Amino acid sequence: MKAESRERRRASFWAAVSVHLGLVCVCAGYLLPFIWMVSTSLKTGSQTQEVPPQFIPHPWKWHNYLDVFTHPTFHATLYTRNTLVIAILTVLGTTLSSAIVAYGFARIPFRGRGVLFGIMLATIMIPFPVTMVSVFRIFRWMDLHTAAWWGPDNALQMLGTFKPLWLPAWFGSAFNIFLLRQFFMTLPRELSEAARIDGCTEFAIFWRVVLPLAKPALAVVALFSFMGVWNDFLGPLVFIQRPEQYTLALGLQAFQSRIGGTPWQLLMAASTLVCLPTLILFFLAQRTFIEGIATTGGK
Amino acid sequence: MTSEERRNFFKGMAFISPWIVGFAVFTAAPIGLSFYYGFCDFALTAPRRAPLWTGLDNYQQLMHDVVFWKSLRNTMYYASMALPAGMLVSLGLALMLNARIRGQTVYRAIIFLPSLVPAFASAMIWMWMFNPTMGVFNMLLGKVHVAPPDWLGERLAMPSLAFMSVWGVGNTVVIYLAGLQDVPRELLEAAEIDGAGTWRRMFAVTLPMLTPVIFFNLIMAIIGTFSILAVPYIMTSGGPNKATYFYTMYNYDEAFKYLNMGYASALAWIQLAITMVLTGLAFWSAKKWVHYG
Amino acid sequence: MKFIKPVVFALLGLAAGVFLVLGSRQNKPDAPPGFTVVEYWEKWNGPEFLGMKAIVDDFNNTVGWQKKIFVRYMSMSEIDRKTLMSVAAGVPPDIAGIWDQQVAQYAAIGAAEPLDDLAKAHGITRDYYLPVFWDGCSYKGHLYALVSTPGTVGLIYNKQIYEQCGEKLKAAGLDPERAPRTLEEFDRYSEILDERDADGNIERAGFIPLQSWYVPHLGFWFGADIVDPATGRPELDSPEMIQAFTWIQGYAKRLGERALNDFKNSLGNFDSPQNPFLEGKEVMDQQGPWMANYIRNNKPEFSEVLVPLDRQWELKDRRANCVWGVAPFPSAVAGKELVSYNSFDGLMIPTGARHPKEAFEFIAYVNRQDVSEKLNTLHCKNCQLRQVSAGFLEHHPNPYIAIFQELAAGPNAHCVPVSPIWAEMYQELVDTSQAVSLEPVDAAEAMHRAQARMMARYDRFNSIQQQREQLGIN
Repeated sequence: MKAESRERRRASFWAAVSVHLGLVCVCAGYLLPFIWMVSTSLKTGSQTQEVPPQFIPHPWKWHNYLDVFTHPTFHATLYTRNTLVIAILTVLGTTLSSAIVAYGFARIPFRGRGVLFGIMLATIMIPFPVTMVSVFRIFRWMDLHTAAWWGPDNALQMLGTFKPLWLPAWFGSAFNIFLLRQFFMTLPRELSEAARIDGCTEFAIFWRVVLPLAKPALAVVALFSFMGVWNDFLGPLVFIQRPEQYTLALGLQAFQSRIGGTPWQLLMAASTLVCLPTLILFFLAQRTFIEGIATTGGK
Repeated sequence: MTSEERRNFFKGMAFISPWIVGFAVFTAAPIGLSFYYGFCDFALTAPRRAPLWTGLDNYQQLMHDVVFWKSLRNTMYYASMALPAGMLVSLGLALMLNARIRGQTVYRAIIFLPSLVPAFASAMIWMWMFNPTMGVFNMLLGKVHVAPPDWLGERLAMPSLAFMSVWGVGNTVVIYLAGLQDVPRELLEAAEIDGAGTWRRMFAVTLPMLTPVIFFNLIMAIIGTFSILAVPYIMTSGGPNKATYFYTMYNYDEAFKYLNMGYASALAWIQLAITMVLTGLAFWSAKKWVHYG
Repeated sequence: MKFIKPVVFALLGLAAGVFLVLGSRQNKPDAPPGFTVVEYWEKWNGPEFLGMKAIVDDFNNTVGWQKKIFVRYMSMSEIDRKTLMSVAAGVPPDIAGIWDQQVAQYAAIGAAEPLDDLAKAHGITRDYYLPVFWDGCSYKGHLYALVSTPGTVGLIYNKQIYEQCGEKLKAAGLDPERAPRTLEEFDRYSEILDERDADGNIERAGFIPLQSWYVPHLGFWFGADIVDPATGRPELDSPEMIQAFTWIQGYAKRLGERALNDFKNSLGNFDSPQNPFLEGKEVMDQQGPWMANYIRNNKPEFSEVLVPLDRQWELKDRRANCVWGVAPFPSAVAGKELVSYNSFDGLMIPTGARHPKEAFEFIAYVNRQDVSEKLNTLHCKNCQLRQVSAGFLEHHPNPYIAIFQELAAGPNAHCVPVSPIWAEMYQELVDTSQAVSLEPVDAAEAMHRAQARMMARYDRFNSIQQQREQLGIN
């Protein structure tokens, strides 16, 4: 018996070592672009063009990070503010509306629920490029009609504002509805029953009983949607026209030059800065994150 | 319906009403419209060039368009490389990250990091790394005296993009990890007692229990692969010589660079049809290999 | 450890708050109250952006001040796509600084306002302009844009390297003291000027057609019209076009695909001291007069072999001073002299612009003779007007400017091909040039394919146009 368990322990030791080795190699590969990004961000312009390229810049030009904020065409504070506005409105809208809709799908048995839920799931499979032109057209149609009544640049105008980016979030996001519904279904029925006996309306049950229990799942939804908005490139590419409304993801294009001479060090510094908030949030919420996905489940 | 059923119906519909409105305005209507526009010609310079019914013209044009077929081939070529690579790597990584060794939080964090980088930044970083003279890859290859290939040249550009897609599997890995948590311990322990080694346990217990998650990730991967737009748009602009011209880029250019909105709608519908067919295939095959519960 | 999370969250929240406030403050009103604000999006960045900025400031301080107009000037990447989309969204700028190849396309799809009446009211007519630029700004008899700065294309060559290879050139019967006069001569110069190292890698190339910015327009130098000027019908597979692309392919074949690719990857950026022409890696190039500016910024020694630039010398001495020389780019057609492609940067008023009349005030200002000369001096370009002062030519930073002006006024001056699908044709020609250089495909076949594809689009556009006119929905 002892020999067997020692054999087993040795086997598992080597297994552990090989797993560690594999992971270390993979992680090194995964980190390489990041290291390269930060390393380039600390070089001078001519150093970025060096052949063969060096990993460690010297001297370390921390000043590049300040230069990002004073760049003539990349308006860092403005773009950050725009991205924050859209992000906050989107996160609020997604979390709230997805929770409400998910509750309906999870806790209220009604005719046609299964069919509608199936349709909702199917919409996840519709890629954005398919609807982008038509959604654009619908917004334009709405704008033309409101302009006919109240003149151009009225308050209800869609295109030319941030609305196309955050307004749809207030109508529920299929993926998040799915996650929250899975979560709500794990909550015991007795809770709602008890509240119902006490005379609460359904909405009150939702708001005062179920929602507070869903904090981890809501946190996951909020985090995911914040990260989605922060990094979203395609949405702003299609729906934002005015330069003073650019988001960070879109604004990084300001560093690209048509006839060459892209200031790589500034671009990398700006990219590092743009990555920072999501990185910090992720590290803070890591455990909640993975647990949250586990509870909402991939079932 | 009984009165309780009716009450529940109204309550339920009230709760899901935001989604119903959103679905109607942002999903159903656009899809219907884009179907209609697929048979029209128009540019979005309203009121000029309003939609004009042209019948099957758009579809005829795209059937004969060399670029249509090339972009479709390109997308399929990319999918044939990126899908298997992504599925295998993400599953493998998830299994490794599920092992009970120390430092898992750090490893998991590192693998997930790339999904946090905005598309523009990652495209530019990788473009820089792929640079034939000034990029990291060729620098490292140079150190071992291997001839530096032209990563973004016509022949290697698509494989390079597929290689890059593996960098972003973090999201998929996290979902696998969640699924792995759900594999019942009793089953694994029972298998261990029965004398099954690590590999046997994995193939006989873990993987079959994981099949629903694998299926889910497969669907998401198919959709993701066929929606790819931002990265190649920034990195290669579809070049060189349209080697990395994806179907979505063709759609985007026709819509927003040439304002051929009708034609672009036809293209979009074809993309929808192809995606539906592929996911349909996946669902049909699922009966064969996905075990629920 | 426990306190880290809430502290970091609080800090993040604080940072968010700071950005929200600071970012909102950045939208300071820059226009004086009561003024009409004209939004002007321009494609340039760098020194060209600043050159126009000087003109915008001049306008705001003089004519703008009097007429209560303030021009808000912004640099925009991807100006073509962004202008189109902003028109589609209903929120376009008042003035868009577009590329010449967009004029016909925008006019055809209704994205641009016709400027005939406004131009006439300001006294700007075809006689005021050089005909080649006026034609480039017109579509179907109406004016849709005006020129901000023109860009006539000629040949720029390295006199020093010509001298260095003097013996070899003379042995081949060519003159190292002047530029080639016909394309056939040009090819011979180019081949002699190539230099390779022991491994067959290209160290120096006489000329590389694929590197030219004007590949889609190369047909002009072969006598092609590329597009029928009367109807806009593509003629991509005319014998002249096939000859042009065979010529491109010839260079690729002669230099070798691998060697050419490696060479291309080793070239530096245009706007840097590693510019291929400045480094001597390319001996000849197809460029416009702005090259003098880029030379001065990146390698001033090129323009001051004997003495520093600040000496006011006679033109012929300034020319002799330069390492670089300029000549008309030779044509393949015997007897066709002074062939040039005349690009330009246009100013257009998009459909749906909020203040078209005020916008045109600025456009007219830019086209006033003194203002135009100032702008073109700053940008180091030639001038789109028929009449230029002698001072403009003499004191221009580019000592060869007279050659460019002569080309623009010449009989074989071509403007951008006027066709509603020119943007698509442009892309098609770029793709085809890459295809003939990288694939083993017959040039004639490639051109026929391109023509077929573009004809399909052209026919479709016309048939739809007819339908629209019949039904009255345009």
